Amino acid sequence: MTTAAPVLDARIDAYLIKLQSALRGISREHQQDILREIRAHIMDSAEHSSDPAGAIDRVLRLLGTPQELAARYSTECQLQRASRSFSPLLILRTCWNWAKLGIKGTLAFFLALFGYSLALGFTVSVFLKPFMPTKIGWWSGPEGSGIIIPEHPELMHEWLGNYFVPVIAAAAFLSAIGTTHLLRWMMRRRTPGLVIATENSASPRERERHTSMQVNV
Amino acid sequence: MAILASLWQSRLYGLEILRALAEKSQLEVAEGTLYPILSRLKSEGLLDSEWVEAEAGHPRKYYWLTAPGRRRAREMAGAWNEFSEKLSDLVQPIVGGKER
Repeated sequence: MTTAAPVLDARIDAYLIKLQSALRGISREHQQDILREIRAHIMDSAEHSSDPAGAIDRVLRLLGTPQELAARYSTECQLQRASRSFSPLLILRTCWNWAKLGIKGTLAFFLALFGYSLALGFTVSVFLKPFMPTKIGWWSGPEGSGIIIPEHPELMHEWLGNYFVPVIAAAAFLSAIGTTHLLRWMMRRRTPGLVIATENSASPRERERHTSMQVNV
Repeated sequence: MAILASLWQSRLYGLEILRALAEKSQLEVAEGTLYPILSRLKSEGLLDSEWVEAEAGHPRKYYWLTAPGRRRAREMAGAWNEFSEKLSDLVQPIVGGKER
């Protein structure tokens, strides 16, 4: 099925070629399904219009750039995978992409950054403890409190002693697993925002940035 | 919820969903957000879809609610109804023009 003018088909093809190359990380079968559906949508929009060229212009603008549309699909797929994964790297990477789509994603990204950094910090201190037994510890005193390396350990009190390694290892594990479970829960519970279309803005991404008309209904 | 609600009564394809949202709720949803959401709702098992060859024209991908999708739509509609009733009570004095 083709539109009336070959030049319009060429425009649709050019859009879909760019979309396909931007749909990384999505299975080939799913990619083909997406391309087929977007082509059908563009052609439907053109068919129902008395000005097919203008209708295609409008629908391509409302779809956003191929990169923006692909980013939405990719992030949705990543969120699906990450919500069932225990890989901190996958979850962190997904949160980074999710953050580009809205406030909830940004919150999730900072939570991921905080939780996994805490777990990493605890883990590093557990591994350093055997090499620096008199320096690494849970200290409190004039130089502050927490896991620090004090300049004058003699003025400080060390709380955990021999229990430092098992307690902090457990804290590292709990931080990592707690952060993972919290983020997986957020990903499963997320409600995708619908971007409200307005004629005077250029793309869905631009509308999100400039009009803040994203609603959850 | 709006997308699930638009599919409550019949199977629709993308453009029909957009039109249903625009006509029944005045929600002008951007195409660029609709299709990734449909894809996600399908992978969550709330929707199912099928390509249907048209007698004239090109094939279209029709979506419909699955049993879990209908359950979710019912739950969300109930929550929305409760919320909107409370909000209506809150704004009623303003709409009614009552001054303090």
